[in-house]
This record gives sequence, structure tokens and C-alpha cells, in this order.
Amino acid sequence: MRPIAKVYTALIFLFLFAPIAILLVFSFNSGNSLSVFSGFSLHWYQELLHDTNTLGALKNTLILALSASILSTILGTAAAVGINKLRSRTMRSAMNTVTNIPMVNPDIITGISLMLLFVFAGRLMGLGTSLNFWTMLIAHITFCLPYVILQVLPKLRQMDKSLPEAAMDLGCTPMRAFLKVELPEIMPGVLTGLIMAFTLSLDDFVISYFTAGNGFETLPIRIYSMTKKTVTPKMYALATLIFFAILALLIISNLMDEETAQERRLAKAKRKKERKPLSPQAKRTLALSVLGGAAVLALAVSFAGRAQQLELNVYNWGEYISDGSEGSLDTIKAFEKWYEEEYGQKIRVNYSTYASNEDMYAKLKSGSVSYDVIVPSDYMIARLIAEDMLLPLDYDNIPNYKYIGEQFRGLYYDPNDEYTVPYTYGVVGIIYNANQVDEADIGDWDLMWNPKYAGRILQFNNSRDAFGTAMYKLGIDVNTGDKAQWDQALAELQAQRPMIKAYVMDEIFNAMESGEADIGAYYAGDYFTMADAQADSVDLQFYYPPATNYFFDSMCIPSCAQHKELAEIFIDYMLSEEAAIANAEYIYYACPNALVYESEDYIDEMGEEAMEILYPPMDDFKERYNSYAYQNLSDDILSYMNELWESLKIN
Amino acid sequence: MKKIIELKNITKSFDGEPVLKGINLDIYDNEFLTLLGPSGCGKTTLLRLIGGFETPDEGEVVFLGQVINDVPPHQRNVNTVFQKYALFPHLNVFENVAFPLREKKVPKDEIEKRVTEMLSLVALSGFERRNITSLSGGQQQRVAIARALIGQPQVLLLDEPLGALDLKLRKDMQVELKKIQKQTGITFIFVTHDQEEALSMSDTVVVMSEGKIHQIGTPIDIYNEPINAFVADFIGESNILDGFMLEDFRVTFSGQTFDCLDKGFGYNEAVDVVVRPEDVDIVSLEEGQVAGVVTSVTFMGVHYEIIVDVGGFKWMIQTTDFVDVGEHIGIKLDPDAIHIMKKSEYSDLYGDYSFFSDEMEEAVEGEVKA
Amino acid sequence: MKDTVSRQRARVATADRAALAPYTVWAVLFILVPLVFVAYYAFTDNAFHFTLDNVKRFFTATSTVIGSDGSAQEVRTYLLIFWRSLKLAVISTVICLAFGYPIAYIMARAAPRVQRTFMTIIMIPMWMNFLIRTYAWMTILQDKGIFNNFLTTLHLPAVHIIGTEAAVVIGMVYDYFPYMILPLYSILAKLDPKLLEAARDLGCSGWGVLKRVVWPLSLPGVISGVTMVLIPSISTFYISQKLGDGKFFLIGDAIEGQYVANNLHFAAAIAFVLMIVLLLCMGLMRKLAGRRVEGGL
Repeated sequence: MRPIAKVYTALIFLFLFAPIAILLVFSFNSGNSLSVFSGFSLHWYQELLHDTNTLGALKNTLILALSASILSTILGTAAAVGINKLRSRTMRSAMNTVTNIPMVNPDIITGISLMLLFVFAGRLMGLGTSLNFWTMLIAHITFCLPYVILQVLPKLRQMDKSLPEAAMDLGCTPMRAFLKVELPEIMPGVLTGLIMAFTLSLDDFVISYFTAGNGFETLPIRIYSMTKKTVTPKMYALATLIFFAILALLIISNLMDEETAQERRLAKAKRKKERKPLSPQAKRTLALSVLGGAAVLALAVSFAGRAQQLELNVYNWGEYISDGSEGSLDTIKAFEKWYEEEYGQKIRVNYSTYASNEDMYAKLKSGSVSYDVIVPSDYMIARLIAEDMLLPLDYDNIPNYKYIGEQFRGLYYDPNDEYTVPYTYGVVGIIYNANQVDEADIGDWDLMWNPKYAGRILQFNNSRDAFGTAMYKLGIDVNTGDKAQWDQALAELQAQRPMIKAYVMDEIFNAMESGEADIGAYYAGDYFTMADAQADSVDLQFYYPPATNYFFDSMCIPSCAQHKELAEIFIDYMLSEEAAIANAEYIYYACPNALVYESEDYIDEMGEEAMEILYPPMDDFKERYNSYAYQNLSDDILSYMNELWESLKIN
Repeated sequence: MKKIIELKNITKSFDGEPVLKGINLDIYDNEFLTLLGPSGCGKTTLLRLIGGFETPDEGEVVFLGQVINDVPPHQRNVNTVFQKYALFPHLNVFENVAFPLREKKVPKDEIEKRVTEMLSLVALSGFERRNITSLSGGQQQRVAIARALIGQPQVLLLDEPLGALDLKLRKDMQVELKKIQKQTGITFIFVTHDQEEALSMSDTVVVMSEGKIHQIGTPIDIYNEPINAFVADFIGESNILDGFMLEDFRVTFSGQTFDCLDKGFGYNEAVDVVVRPEDVDIVSLEEGQVAGVVTSVTFMGVHYEIIVDVGGFKWMIQTTDFVDVGEHIGIKLDPDAIHIMKKSEYSDLYGDYSFFSDEMEEAVEGEVKA
Repeated sequence: MKDTVSRQRARVATADRAALAPYTVWAVLFILVPLVFVAYYAFTDNAFHFTLDNVKRFFTATSTVIGSDGSAQEVRTYLLIFWRSLKLAVISTVICLAFGYPIAYIMARAAPRVQRTFMTIIMIPMWMNFLIRTYAWMTILQDKGIFNNFLTTLHLPAVHIIGTEAAVVIGMVYDYFPYMILPLYSILAKLDPKLLEAARDLGCSGWGVLKRVVWPLSLPGVISGVTMVLIPSISTFYISQKLGDGKFFLIGDAIEGQYVANNLHFAAAIAFVLMIVLLLCMGLMRKLAGRRVEGGL
């Protein structure tokens, strides 16, 4: 290689590996920021090893990628053989065109189109849950197939056509001729196809996003759901481990190749005539079939294991349950154990996560999933009730409900307490960097419109919340049905737009911690997470504007639930002292459970400042809540708001 | 005659394996020169050195008095016809031939004219718009020649250009190539491992093996006066026997003394004696200088090829007279049928027809190895 | 004898058909039928009655944009979004091609062992999660991020990248770069070195060889590469959210937004239009390149 080529290659590799280096470094961060490095620690690796949900998602991802790649390789190789032998030109070109479709179709379209098909087929067959592992597998196989076929076809074309004929002439059946003569010839193409399929399947997010369903959460979906609570360095630690695992595999396989090459050279030099026990090709084929066998076995075992167990499908926000990190309680695990002790039967909780109320709603509405417990926010609950998508709860099965504070019952979205058990609640406040923001400017929403801080302000990247900030500022009812008032709010947001640094959800953590931005509205509890990780030059502070959003996230049972009684037992368990405190401490939002907010341990653990901010003293809580919280908007207003939001965003 | 290319003491190795070991060769203007040798003898490497695709480790490539070791191929007035033609699959016949002219930015109408002329020279008029892949081997071959000639090079390098053609086509192309060379007056350097091809086409033949030149000469010289056992065996069929020079013009082998036309060897010097199969006369036992038993007879069309066992040494003899297997016959040699060579490292390796030919042996060996 | 031969032939033919049959069924069920569903949803309303409203809305919906000088302007919402997506995707594709081609060429000319190493190096980032890689770019590109720290230590002025079109393009280029290199590499590696020698022999300088022989012969690879980068970058919705500071609303965001807002029919209509436009583009590109690319990868 010429020096200039070397330099160029080095630069490209630098570009390819820069982000990998970043995640490698930040996986050792002792803090929980992804942009402020506070010291070296192996803490996140420990956390990762205890995080059964993430490891489970990793396992699911691998199972999916392995089975999808192996099945698509088998199907694709057979297809390539068939296509290659097609005599008719029209047939061949028709086949090629169809094969190309998943490649020239954006994955978002492949995802949506397959989802539409699955949902339709599910309805036709009267299935409650048409989206599940198998639909994801079908989707993955479908988009992997063309890559396999396009790797194998050229190898078939290059192959001497008389090879299989010679084999048959020598007494092989067509099948044996294929296995013994053709397959070894095209093996390099088959292997490349397999590796490509595996890589694509492993990395896919978009198609999985649309076709994912019950109880089978893959890593990309889990990460995408971490929008309310941000991605932690734990995910970087996971990526780092994957990186080194692959590196090790590659080095080993390279060394093995080297060895066989060496052997071959030696053999040649000595003119050895005896056959080696196994050619490298055969070795690879063998390794491949072992791999395939293992995958299918893993698949079978994991599904067979499931069949004998009780199952409960829980659908919650990303990072919205105590997961056993930092010595806390792994609530899901604890529930499974508790249930077995109590009822003498094994239960398995399939826990999956969503990124927003709307995400969850879209999945439920498609009628192709079945969850037993969901945790929507208030306005979404109102909507679900209105559309008859929730089941009334049997509170006899939820004795712990008695610990829910009086002021948290009978709220507008469930006035008669029929459908919900509150999980968390909170208030939106403004977080600001006291080193940059003048104390005189704080106090209300005007701070987010203050031109002094142009380019330093963050706004919600979520239509309802963003409009909310403008409406609270203008004193408009956030649930108004008057389009003119929505226009007014839009004008306010448009005026704000030039001053906005970014529209964010979980990205706010990064931006505030590192001092990228100085002002942003978010949920009270998250302020503490950011302040914990803030850079030295940053001093984050927090206040509530006079009129602001109050929200409740409550546990409900959707009408598609298949295990209602189990779900109620689960909800009751979530209200038990141990679980509720663990969750409250993990999520860091206010908890409506008296077992929590009256617990000495909890109050000590949280500290005075946190308690003050999270639980602002309020006698008129219910009243304030009912007037400020988001309510369900009519379809007309909802789509009007979405249109306005789009027009704000295309500016 | 003008020297056009001089190769001076060229050595070249790949990965420490020497491929060329001190090559010296002069190539003259208007000459049809053939590099002949078995595969792996370095002839193609030598050609690539002249073409500019390789640079020698040591020594000089001199073109019209100038050292061109480091001149890149596109600046040498030398063009190559590649072994498998290396025609550009994305261009049609016309564009393939026009390729060098377009690179030189020759005006359009001149390109049109010259390409048309060139295509008629190689008998491909009317094929201008044809796709390369739709041509037969012979046609592709002619496109490759046209493409190499259109830039009017002073030297044309041909790397086994006829190797991929069938026998009949090959013969025709040999004639055609020779014709083109005469017409254009360009120096052709032709690489082949086919001795018949080399003999029939060349002005000068260079016999190589193992990175060395054995002999340079006209086809007739090479055939009649091979310099050692390797050349004798490689060019045509030869019976090579151990002998002693008694004195000038007298040689002893196969237990008999013969008259010959060679001189200048020491008294009793061990030599290699070459007898071409077609120079042996079969006579009756009494008339024969040597006697033997026929062990095999093969009908070859023009003649019979018979193997005769003479005291353990198997002679090959080509004759038009029929003899039967098992027949005892006499062998008679005229003085001009005998060619004496000095002993060399190749002595005793060739020239006995007890077994298969070398190629066959190699093939069999290869089979076993694989 | 004749009988067994013909029977043998029949068996071979059956075997070939048997090999193709599962795929044919699969392709019809999971490639063609789903597309019919997209069309069906695109042309129906919530009650599944035929309507052109969804498609019409794509072309006619307008919104008011406030310019930097405060002037209001009516624009076609989705056409503008579409145009912006196309622009960013094309820029990313061109950059991938410009930087990927040399790397693929260098790879293809390297020793076989080096080629394999290169290949794995280029594939490794694809094994890290796509979302996480994109997240890591936020850390690099933000105003006080790694890149600007680096510039500051060199006493260069910091640049504002995050939240600009440049950041979105960087994200797209990064994530889809391997998809450009792999097809280019595989076609360049197959290129007969004799053809390059022939071109040099016939008077081409190094540059001339590239332009007149290597480039035209690698066109099928270029087309595959361009397809494989353009398609995902035109429809991405995560990169624009994370690296665009939420300010870039691309066609993928629009589809996802409509899906989440439960307007499946309109989401399908956008998808349908996008699909038709892309299929036309690809068809045109292949025509222009003048050769059928069968199994171009």
C-alpha cells in the first residue's frame, strides 16, 4: 500500500471507530452520564451482570438473529439454486425483481407492510396476539433473504455446470449431488450470506419496532424505549462486552485460518500424500451446523420451558421499574419468587417496554398484542376507558390498594376508581443551570422564552408536552377544544423556535449534565439524576412554575389481557412495601403509596431536598391536578394538534 | 539490423523464489522472436518486464538505447496481447479497438478511420457494434490484436495468445499472425510453450527453462544443433544416448562406433548423442549397425512411431515402413543423423522412451499429489 | 436405459422446482401481499371505504412557516418534508460513495489476508447496536463534546454541528457506510487485474485506468451501494431525532409519527408514495447505468 492509501485508510478507520471508542470509555464512567466523565469504575459492568431484563433482551436478540440468519440461509440457498436453474427468462427476471423488493424498499415500509399483514391475518384467524416472536422471525427472515440469495447466486453461476451432472453420472441422487458437490462449491457464498443476514438481523431496529409483540423484547427495542429515563452507561458496557466478544471470536477464527494455511503450506512442502482428517472447508461446515443446531436447540428449550409455565405479560415505560441495580430489589424476579412460594406454581413475567403512551396505544389498538398489565398516563387512561380498552379491576384481589392515599383516588380519569391503581405521579418543573441563568429571571414559564438565553433552551420533543408549556404560559386550558387557542399556542412555540437549542426527550439528560443547554422543562425526579451527574462547571437547579403539568402513571389491565387475575396479583404485589419502595427509589418520581411516602427508611434514603421537591406540600392536590393535568383530547383536536406540531417541526 | 530491445543481466524473484537468473538478450527490429519454454520457466515474466508490468531486481531493460526500467507501461511504445485477451467487457468491439486512440485524444474522424482499417486488417469488418461476450474465441483474439496494434507500437508482446483456441483455428491464426507481422513490420515477441508453433512462426527462437536462456537461434539451428539434452528433448522428439568421442568425426555409443560431423571434443570425452527419430533408417538385421526388438507400434497417419529395444535402451523411430511388434530389426545411422552435445546437468534426464513422456509423468505425479 | 435417463431428468426438474417452491410461497406471502396491504390502507379510510383523501393530503397539506425575518409563508408540508429527506439522503449517499470507493479499491488491491482483516474491521461497528452508535455520536458532536474539545486543544474555534443538517448527514454516513463499501469491494475484488494491465499497456495513466476501465466496470457495485445507502437514509427516523436535536422532521419521522398517532391509513399513504417514488428512481438509475444487474451485490 502506498503511504497516502495508508493514511486514508487510517482516517476512515478512525471515523468508523470513534463512536466505539466513546462508548468504550464511557462504559467505565463512575457517574451515570454519557457525556460527563466523572471517574473510572467497573460499576456499570456489575450492574449489567445483575440486570436480568437487559440480559434477557440480549438473549432474545441473539436467538432471533441466529434463527433468522440460519433459516434465511437455508431458504435463500434453496431459492438461489431454483432461480439459477429457471429456464424461462421472464420467470427468472420476475424472481429477481421480487427478490430485490425488500432491498429497495425502505425498512420502515417493510416493517409497516408486514405489520399490516400480521394484524390482518391475526384478526382473520381470531387470534388475540398476532404479533409475537414468530412474526418478528418472519419479518427478519424476509429482509435477510435477498442478501443471502444475492450472495449465493453468483457462486452458482461461476460453478461448472457439469459438476452436479458428473456427480449424478457417478451415481448420486440429485439431492446427494447437491449436498456433496454443489454445496461445497458455493459454500463461501452461503457463509457470507449467513454472516450478512446475522449482522443485519442483529442491527435491525426499524422492522423489529413495527413487528414486535408480546413478551419478546429485543435489545434495540429496549434501548429505544429508554426515552423517559435516559440510556445509561450500562448499555455502553453491554456494547463494549459485545465488541470484545466479537473481537475474540474474529481473532480465534483468524488464528485457525492461519494454522490451516500453515498446515497446507507445510503439507505442500513435504509433498504429503495422505489426506488430512478434515479440510478447513469441512471444518467450517461442521462448525456451522453445530452453531445452527445449538441455536435451534436454544430456541426449542426456551419455548418448551415457557409452555409449562404461567405467564404474565407486563408492558411498561423504559427503565420504569427497579431492576436490581446497586443492590436494590429486582422487582420482577422478586415477584416470580414470591408467587412461587405463595401459590406453589412457577410464573414467568414477560416484561417489555415502550417509549411513549402513543407507542403503547398504537400497539394495543392494532389488536395484535396481548398484555396483562400496562402503565399508561392519565390522559391515555381516559382515552382507553372511552374506547373500552380497559377492564374494570377486582379490587378484592388488590388488598394493598388501601395504602393509596385518599387524595390520589377519584381523580378525573377514573372518578369512581374502577380501572386504575396509581403507580407514580409527578410534576413538571424547569431545570436550569444556576451558573448561567440569572436568579432574577426564574419563577415561571417566561424563562423558556427569554431571548437572553437564546440557543440555550430545550423544549419537549413531544407535541402534547411542548404545547403544554406554551398553554400554561399563556394561561390557556391545556385541554381546550378551541382550535383558535391551539393556534395561539403554536404561535407562541413558533416565536420560541429560534431560541431553542433542541427538542428533546431523554437527550435532555446529556444536554443539561454537560452544560450544552442551560434551561429545560422535565419531570421533577429526573432533575436529581441530572444534578448527580453534572459536570464541574454546571450547577443545576429546579423550580415549579405556578401553573404546570401534573401527571399520573397508573397500572391498568387492558381488555386484551389473558390473565386478569394474575395481573391483579401482580399489581397488588407492586403495592407491597418492599416492591413499592424499591420502585420509588429507582424511578425517583413521587409515589402515591402511603407505605412509601410515610416510610422512615424511604424518607431517609431520599433526603430532605428530594422529598421537598418530589412531594411539594399541597392541600388542594386533587383540585390542582384535575385542572392542570392533560385530559383526553377529541380525535379532531388530536389530529389538529399533530398537524400543528408537524408544521412547527418543518420550519 | 537495428537492436530495438536489449536485456542486460536481468534477475527477478518473487517472494525470494528466483524466476529469472541473469538474462541477456538482444531483440532486433522487424524480428519475430519467440520465447519458448515449459510453464514456470520465466518467459511470461520476461515479457512483463518488457511490457513494464514488472521491474527487474537487477539488470537493465534497454529500449532503443535508453534504460526504461522505471518507465510505466502506458509510456512505453510497446503493447501486449494478453493470454486471455483482457478485452474490456463494458465496451463493444469498436470501442475496445479505439481505446488507446481515445486515451491519446485522437480526433473523432481519424479514430473512425483507423479503427475501420485495423478491423479490416484482422478481418473483423462489420463487427464494430458487437458485444465482446458475443464473439468466438478466434474473433476475440483478433480484437485483442487489433487493439494492441492500433497505437502503432514498435514492439508487440504476445503472451501465449493462441493457447485458448482449438487446433484448426490455431493453425489459421499462426499464419495470420505471421502475415500481420510481415505487413506491419513491427517486432513481435511471442511467448509459447508449444515448440511446433515456435518453429513454424519465428525468425528467432529463445529456449528457456528455470529462469535461464539455454539457446538462441533460428528454428533450424535450434532443431538441428540443440545445445544440450534439455533443448534436444524440448524441441521435437529425440533419442539421447551416452557416448564417447573417439576423435574428431568418430563417436562410440550403443556398443558401436559411428561416423559423425562433429569435432572439437577431447579424446574419450563423454558426450550426449542426439538422434532424431525421423533420421533413423530401419534395415534388415544384417545391414544394421545396431540390432533391436520392436516393442510397440503406433500408427500416426503420416508415419508409424515405433519403439525399439536396443540392449535395454528404448529408441523411438519414425518410419513409413510397417514393422510388427516382436520383429528383430537392424538400425542404420548416416553421419548427418548424429548430433553430438557436451555433457550437461540435463544429461540422462531425457531421451529414453522406456516410460511416458515427461508431461504425462508430471500429470500422473500431480494426480497422486492432489 | 432411455427410460431411466428421462426419469432421472424428471427427478432433477422436480428437485429444482421443490427448491424454489418454499421461497416462491414466502415471497408472495411476505413480500408481495404486504405491499398490497400498504396500497389498501393508503386508499381507504378508517372504515375501509375507498378514498383518495390520504394520498391527496400528502400532496396538498399546507402549513405556515415563519422565516427568520418573521415573514409567514405557506408551504406544502409533506412535499417539503419529502424534499428535505431526499436532499439529506442524496448528500449522505454521495459522501459515502466518494469516501467509500477509494477504501473499497484499496481493499480490493490488498493482499488476501489484509482484505479479510479490512472486511471484519468494517463489519464490526455493525455488530454494535445501531441506536447506541448513534447515541455515541451525540457525545462526540455536541457543542461541548469530544470533537469540539479536540478543536479547542488545537486552538481552533469550536464548531456547532449537533442539530444541524451536517450532524444528521454524519449520522447517516456513519451508519450506512459499510453498506456502500461491501458491494463496491466485492465487485472491485472480482475485477480482472489483466484488464487494468491492458488499459495501462494501451496508454492509460493511473487516473485514466480508473476513469475508463475500473469505474465503468464497477457500476453494478456502485448501484448496489447507492441503493443500500440511499434507501435507509431516506427513511430513517432515529438519526434525525437524536443528532438533529429534534429539529429535523424527515419522511421517516412523519410515517412513524402518523403510526404512533394511530393514523395508520395516512402512514400507509406516505409509505406508498415513498415506495413508488423510490421504485421509479431505482428503475431509472438501473436503466441509465445501461446494464441489468443480476445479483449485483
